[in-house]
Amino acid sequence: MPPSTRSWEGSISDVDGRRSAEALEVTALARTWGRLTLPGKVVFTVVPVLAVLTAGLIAVIALFGGAVVDILNANLGIVRFVAAATIILVITIPIAFLNIYLEMKVIALMNLRVGPDRVGPWGTALSVVHGLKVLMKEDFTPTGADSVVFTWAPVVTYAAAVLTIVVLPFAPGLYGQDFNIGLLYFFAMGGLGVVGLLMGGWASFNKYSLLGGLRSAAQIISYEIPLTLSVVGLLILAGTMSLNQIVIQQDGGLANWYVFRQPLAFVVFFIAATAEANRTPFDLTEADSEIVAGFATEYSGMRFGFFFFAEYVNVFILSALTVVLFLGGWNAPMEIDPVLTAIGGILPGLGITTPVTIALDPGALGLPLLFLLLLVPPVGTLLFAAPFFLLRSSMRWWVALIIGFLLFNVVAGGLVMAWAYVSFEWVAGLLWFLGKTFFFVFVFVWMRGTLPRVRIDQLMGFAWKWLLPAALLNLFVTALAVVVIRS
Amino acid sequence: MTVDHRQPSADDPRVLLDEQIGIFEPVPPYPPRTEREAEFYTLADGELLINIGPHHPATHGVMRVVMKLSGETVVDLDPVLGYLHRGVEKLCENADLHQTIAYLDPLEYVSSLFCEWPAVIAYEKLLDVEVPRRAEYIRVLTGELNRVSSHLLAMGFHALDLGGLTPILYSFIERDEIVEMLASITGQRMLFNYFRVGGVNGDLNHEFMSRLGDWMSRATEQIEANVGLLNENEIFVRRNRDIGVMDPELAIKMCWTGPNLRASGVPFDIRRAHPYSVYPELEFDIPTRQEGDSLARYLLRIDEVKQSLRIIDQCLHQMPDGPVMAMLPRLLRPRPGRAFAAVEGPRGEYAIYAVSDGTDQPFRFRIHDPSFLHLQSFSRLVPGKLIADWMTINASLDPIMGGIDK
Repeated sequence: MPPSTRSWEGSISDVDGRRSAEALEVTALARTWGRLTLPGKVVFTVVPVLAVLTAGLIAVIALFGGAVVDILNANLGIVRFVAAATIILVITIPIAFLNIYLEMKVIALMNLRVGPDRVGPWGTALSVVHGLKVLMKEDFTPTGADSVVFTWAPVVTYAAAVLTIVVLPFAPGLYGQDFNIGLLYFFAMGGLGVVGLLMGGWASFNKYSLLGGLRSAAQIISYEIPLTLSVVGLLILAGTMSLNQIVIQQDGGLANWYVFRQPLAFVVFFIAATAEANRTPFDLTEADSEIVAGFATEYSGMRFGFFFFAEYVNVFILSALTVVLFLGGWNAPMEIDPVLTAIGGILPGLGITTPVTIALDPGALGLPLLFLLLLVPPVGTLLFAAPFFLLRSSMRWWVALIIGFLLFNVVAGGLVMAWAYVSFEWVAGLLWFLGKTFFFVFVFVWMRGTLPRVRIDQLMGFAWKWLLPAALLNLFVTALAVVVIRS
Repeated sequence: MTVDHRQPSADDPRVLLDEQIGIFEPVPPYPPRTEREAEFYTLADGELLINIGPHHPATHGVMRVVMKLSGETVVDLDPVLGYLHRGVEKLCENADLHQTIAYLDPLEYVSSLFCEWPAVIAYEKLLDVEVPRRAEYIRVLTGELNRVSSHLLAMGFHALDLGGLTPILYSFIERDEIVEMLASITGQRMLFNYFRVGGVNGDLNHEFMSRLGDWMSRATEQIEANVGLLNENEIFVRRNRDIGVMDPELAIKMCWTGPNLRASGVPFDIRRAHPYSVYPELEFDIPTRQEGDSLARYLLRIDEVKQSLRIIDQCLHQMPDGPVMAMLPRLLRPRPGRAFAAVEGPRGEYAIYAVSDGTDQPFRFRIHDPSFLHLQSFSRLVPGKLIADWMTINASLDPIMGGIDK
């Protein structure tokens, strides 16, 4: 063996000598430290550091807090944009999980299979496990791939999908940013997604990927034209590009929804959106029986995960845009507030104080509200537990208490939801919005379970020969109608 | 000891790094052997060679097709076979007559009975055996059941190759029921090993009859409902119509048989043209279609399923009592000679040419498989079409690689 240059070989002999020298200098503090257990050592290290940091933070806030708040106040738009973008980035993950689960379960039921049923109740946690699996897989870059472009491609695709959510109005007042060019921004950001697919297809150094990337470019750019043109007629009617304003204009029941004034545009838009999201029957970019997995053939691990997530986020945002533009966004199909108010008005007249009427103004209760909050949970638990304990002699008291507690939680949760629905406009709006959006997500999944895939020439022919003329016809008729009515 | 780095060994990890062995080209590593090969592997401007397979979702097994593409259009293609070659013919030449039947099962593994059938007919010709009539009826009954299951599978995979996820599972409901009822008399779900020289391995049993009765009462409606998902689907019909059109003359020249030939308008069916077993006593039509495209081949399989159900019904009513196996010695030594037997399978003509030299093993054993002959017409059907059309044509021809590679 050649003479070693490893450092540890030379230092072994020194250790004993140094240790004996240090042993003489042991102080009381060092001995105490040595007697501490590991958790004790951690606590005695971390607590002082935290204390110092907290004191420093308080000092900084006291000294510069006012200035920072002023700066943030001065740039409220930017702050709001950054906060919204961060929240939306986080929100996309449960959205994608939900869509993936929905897809697995619904297609399984359509195929007369059971579908996911192992992880969590009815397999609901399977997409979480899916996400973990994707995280833990090997992140593989094939030989000959352009590694920089290969790495950035999924990021571009995912960012494009996420950035569009910023302008989506989820509920009254619940939106990232209310641009006056909201729709234009949406299409611009959504169109960036194809760049990522093309990058992934080109950089993978694989012919299947290349074909998939080029297919996606041809398909998405072709379908963006009818997608955008179908909305122009609606914009003439609405007179604004702000998605928030478009939703507000559809207020007041089913009749005001744009789907009834622009039925042709709705059909064209939904078909083009299917192609834009690369969904069956237009999923040529990842046609598994033709080009294996298209642009994603060489991707694995979390880089594939980003493509996968982006696809499902795309499904969600295109469903959401369909709802916002044509189906009234957060608006309920009919007014149900008068019904609730009527119920709230009748019952107190009969001498009954309902939870609804209290909830409409809980502050009016004053101090008793505190006692109510303290007393209701134990009393409610006991009340719900009592019948189980009294009517079943074999029931142990603590089992009855657990059942009572769970029942109380279910009932209380339902009541809180009802209170929130009645009291806060945005909760009702959010529920309506998500309900409609997930109906369209279901339609996307339904189509995937039912339809075969179209061929590339049929796909392009359909866009240019049918959808584009239909969109132009819709635009022409709408414009003519508007001119005639106004003059 | 010093290591000479100028001559890296295969154990040296740096060898992998230096010679990028991760990159595979479809071009073979040897110089072209024929003019056709030289022409095929010479690329014009803007053309691209791409490997479809050997492991690819749409190749129905382990087939490799080298495609020369210009954009999405297939300019030319070259199927490369042999990835599933087991040497079945040679194996059979070294086994006695009973053992060969087991080797024949995995040839076309979705229609195993039709692989066994010509072999037992050929042996019976060599041995001059009279097969009991009940055994012949059982052969026809189980064979037609197997034909239905094979056609259902073909229809499901046709849809799967076109991107439809659901029809395959609906087909499998019926197929699974058939396969289970066949398993109740043969003991296996796929590779039945049921036919014997001089009869069949066992008589029909109660489980088979009750399952068959249940299934026959609902089969027609169920199959009609399942194919409705595709037959009335505009996307499916448009992707199949006028794709892979084969005219009858060329089909005959290409040795096509079975549903693929009948979809081109030639009413050739071995059950009627060269009758065997008890088919002359049974009533059934030979469905034909004139279009010769993928849609016609798909629809013809549905028509054949209906005819098969008719045959099964007649078999059940006309089946006589009696033995299911002829009295034969345990060791079969046919007279020296040669025999040819062909049956009409779900893909076409399954045939065996057996030469005996008087020993208990065949001297020569030639297997004729229809899928191989259908596959060779790719070069006529596919060029000029799109990649996706290759999937359609491949699915409509319904090749099984086990039989092609033998």
